[in-house]
Amino acid sequence: MSPRDRIQLVGGLLDLPILDIEGRYCGIVDDVELEEADDELRVKALLVGPGAYRGRLPAWAFNLLCRVAGARITRVPWDAIERVTGAVVLTVSAATCGLHRSEDKARRLIPRGGAM
Amino acid sequence: MNLLEITLGIMTAVGGFVDISELVFAAQAGSNYGYALIWVFALATIGIMVMSEMSGRIAAVAKQPVFNLIRHRLGLKLGLVTLIASLVSNLITCAAEIGGTAIILHLLTGAPMLLMAVAMLAVLIATIWILPFKWIERAYGLLGLVMIVFAVALVKINPPWGAIAAGFVPQVPPGLSTGGMIRFAYFGVAIISAVMFPYEVYFYSSGGIEEKWGFKDLPINRLTCIVGFALGSLLSISILSGSAQLFAPLHVDPQLPGSAALQAELPMGRTGLVLALLGMLFAVAGAAIETCLANAYSLAQFFGWEWGRHRKPWEAPRFTIAWILLFLLAFAIVATGVDVMRLVEYAVLFSVLVLPLTYLPLLLLASDRHFMRAHRNGMLANGLGWLYFVVIVAAAVAAVPLFLLTSGGQG
Repeated sequence: MSPRDRIQLVGGLLDLPILDIEGRYCGIVDDVELEEADDELRVKALLVGPGAYRGRLPAWAFNLLCRVAGARITRVPWDAIERVTGAVVLTVSAATCGLHRSEDKARRLIPRGGAM
Repeated sequence: MNLLEITLGIMTAVGGFVDISELVFAAQAGSNYGYALIWVFALATIGIMVMSEMSGRIAAVAKQPVFNLIRHRLGLKLGLVTLIASLVSNLITCAAEIGGTAIILHLLTGAPMLLMAVAMLAVLIATIWILPFKWIERAYGLLGLVMIVFAVALVKINPPWGAIAAGFVPQVPPGLSTGGMIRFAYFGVAIISAVMFPYEVYFYSSGGIEEKWGFKDLPINRLTCIVGFALGSLLSISILSGSAQLFAPLHVDPQLPGSAALQAELPMGRTGLVLALLGMLFAVAGAAIETCLANAYSLAQFFGWEWGRHRKPWEAPRFTIAWILLFLLAFAIVATGVDVMRLVEYAVLFSVLVLPLTYLPLLLLASDRHFMRAHRNGMLANGLGWLYFVVIVAAAVAAVPLFLLTSGGQG
């Protein structure tokens, strides 16, 4: 499916994994940002991160999750999307969209070496 | 794919089939009810064949591991409930597997159990850190084949083969009191849960993606699930039958995982005992790795992290931190001194509750024309899939009352 096709937002986009141009997992479509253009609603960006769970979880669960994982939201512009299949595939790297930070932070904790 | 690869795949599935819960419940089922619960093992084995084949086919065709599907199909709220429930269930199961290996090592060496649990933890962490996915799966699966000693021991004691064959026919032992019927039903539910553990499909489908399965792997997926799991299940049925033949007449209830190994000692002496313990050690250690990785896969897939052991540990850092922490947590549970058998009971109870939420998204996607196209479920797979869905929903509904009424199968 191309980004210009009509997409069922909940069934076809929400909660899909996101792969960057190198085929690496870099997030999940947690919510979408819409804009009005030519009397139509269009997807402007994908929202990724625990902050985007607001309204999708009960308030207590959302607050608890934000305490554990933070309330960050990363916006991925719709024009950075190549196609939507079983996953959303980006035309750019995770770092270009800002989807690399948590993985980079965790990487600093892992020693290199010893693995085949 | 050559014949060697196919054979290795099937042998790995056979050696990796049995885990601590199956060991315990097979031995106890045999000593308590003779051959009357063999049919439940057979029923559950067909169930895990059907569901694993679907999860492998989805991995090969739609490139979707199970927890991506759960999140996408069930949504964030119900998906999160499933994630938390399966994390708890797999964590308890992993702790039970680590505790089980510690007991077996204690029996083999005489060293203190806690020390053996620490040693096993170090070996398991080193295994996942050092070896790539295929080697991890193959090493423990093939070493677990030593469990064949149970089938050899059964042949040596020359059991009543007709009675074993009759055990494949659905039945309830005659003359059970109401309490006895309830306990029999509890064992039935526990066996369904132990054979169809959700971690098995999480691990199997993620493994398919780790190994980059495609259309060409569909036949081996089917063959592994049908032949590999059928032969693996025969090992469990051998343990049940050996227990029925040797323990039941003596009114011995083999409540410890090590007790089952005595089945091999009686006909084969010390060599049989050591081989049985080694086979159990490798099989249970492999299951510990599968449960831990299944949890790390689930977390990573649910939140969209980079994952997989086809990547170096530092290339999927949150996934790596997850499996290390989960192993440490499982060890911490064992280190509290909790009875491993109680862990096994809680593991099967929690798992059966998670089963419907795990298998529903699988069934929906495997039948989806848009995703699966020519490889969507046919009439047989769909029919069997929904039939088993009804079975596991019934088992999930009955599990908690049966657990409470029988104090976890104690009576």
